[in-house]
Amino acid sequence: MIAPRHILGTFDEALASLRNNVLTMAGLTERTFDRAIKGLLERNDDLCANAIADDEEIDQLEKLVDKEGVDLLLRFQPVASDLRRVVAAMKLSPNIERVGDQATTVARRARKLNRHPALAETELIEPLYALAMSMFKDAIDAYVKEDVPLAMAIIPRDQELDEMNATVQRQLIERMAQDPDQLRGYLNLIFIARSMERVGDHATNIAEDAVYAAAAEDIRHLPMAEAD
Amino acid sequence: MVSLVDEMPDTLEQHPSKPVEREVRPVPPPSETSPMIDIADVDFSYGSHQVLFDVTLPVPPRAVTAFIGPSGCGKTTLLRCINRMNDLVENARMTRGAIRLDGFDINSPEVDVVDLRRRVGMVFQKSNPFPKSIYENISYGLRIAGVAKRARIDEAVEKSLRAAALWDEVKDRLDANAFGLSGGQQQRLCIARALAVEPEVILMDEPCSALDPIATAKVEELIYQLKTAYTIVIVTHNMQQAGRCSDHTAFFYLGKLIEFGSTGLIFSNPRQRQTEDYITGRFG
Repeated sequence: MIAPRHILGTFDEALASLRNNVLTMAGLTERTFDRAIKGLLERNDDLCANAIADDEEIDQLEKLVDKEGVDLLLRFQPVASDLRRVVAAMKLSPNIERVGDQATTVARRARKLNRHPALAETELIEPLYALAMSMFKDAIDAYVKEDVPLAMAIIPRDQELDEMNATVQRQLIERMAQDPDQLRGYLNLIFIARSMERVGDHATNIAEDAVYAAAAEDIRHLPMAEAD
Repeated sequence: MVSLVDEMPDTLEQHPSKPVEREVRPVPPPSETSPMIDIADVDFSYGSHQVLFDVTLPVPPRAVTAFIGPSGCGKTTLLRCINRMNDLVENARMTRGAIRLDGFDINSPEVDVVDLRRRVGMVFQKSNPFPKSIYENISYGLRIAGVAKRARIDEAVEKSLRAAALWDEVKDRLDANAFGLSGGQQQRLCIARALAVEPEVILMDEPCSALDPIATAKVEELIYQLKTAYTIVIVTHNMQQAGRCSDHTAFFYLGKLIEFGSTGLIFSNPRQRQTEDYITGRFG
């Protein structure tokens, strides 16, 4: 259900601007991660460099979201769903920014990997990325559409991602033992896999904030049975 | 005769400028305490024009209940029903329902309206001190209640002024005309005047709407302190004020009670769409 407009038009404009900046941040982060992962899989240093450069813009947007959020609280003293939307935006923007940081980490490690012969195990990262990024996109979608079931469905997927990461880590550690000459390369892949796992954690946090914004429910730190 | 001031709780005697140790009490939902004022199925009309429809609202004791809603929604009319101020308006009457104060029907024939208004004090939008001295403003209610001893009146005046956080500002000029006080001081004087006759309930009809932010803060602080001893009902158009100083909030629209609940809930997650639209400023 679409909420009617506020009597005060500037209030609507400020809320819309805050939301648009969050969405711009999310869009940029998604593009950055896409470049970082392509830089890894296609061994393309230019894409890695672009991904690293994009992070600055995401950082600035995080500061802008914070500033606009504080301005909104100060000027309009929002309550009820308006307050929750502002609080949620201010809480989820650092999570988006950290996803951006993970993209930078992936890009930096990809550049290091690109200096050496390709490792076949690089392809182990792809399914991790697919799951982590789908969680991130769905979390942002849940926030935008105020879709509580979609947000709730992200939480069990984080466990799936954790398990996938653990499996990949085991495989890479085994390869390290078998092929110690490529130790640095495998270590970089381990860190990249860990970055994907972190993206899942941030997506979960965003999903939790989306539930709070939409339904005023704090679902953090609930036992899994309750979260279901 | 029991002193009119003996019963006042000591907590009210604290100096207003000293930091007050606040006891954080969880606010029980309105339904979990037996109401101080039980408003049940009330209809009210001015002549043939009905302004309240089937209002049922249990006002909890020793807490602040805020009535909010757009102009003309009936909140002030309901407030004025609680001490029968509407009796003074021609053709205005409750046509259905009952209001019970601590179990007694306030509209029953045996109720003495003067005594009811002593038990249910009222503070208005615009401060209305008598054109008399500060001292006489407070002592007036005691004198007409039959208190004659000077010492006892002196004691009650001091205690009431302290309770209204005004004593330190006026103790050296009690004989000065009350009109010489600032607007905020005059409003606190009116609160002190209401307290002097030991009410159980204090009704406040937009008590800060004519005050500057500092005076408003002082009155709000006073409301916070008074609720440990009194049941307070406040009508306010200032949503932030309702959020700051009330424990429970009732939202009215077109003469109907739309939602009543703890203030925290009403301002964070109201259950009714109309409440949400009103408090977020979306009411067209």
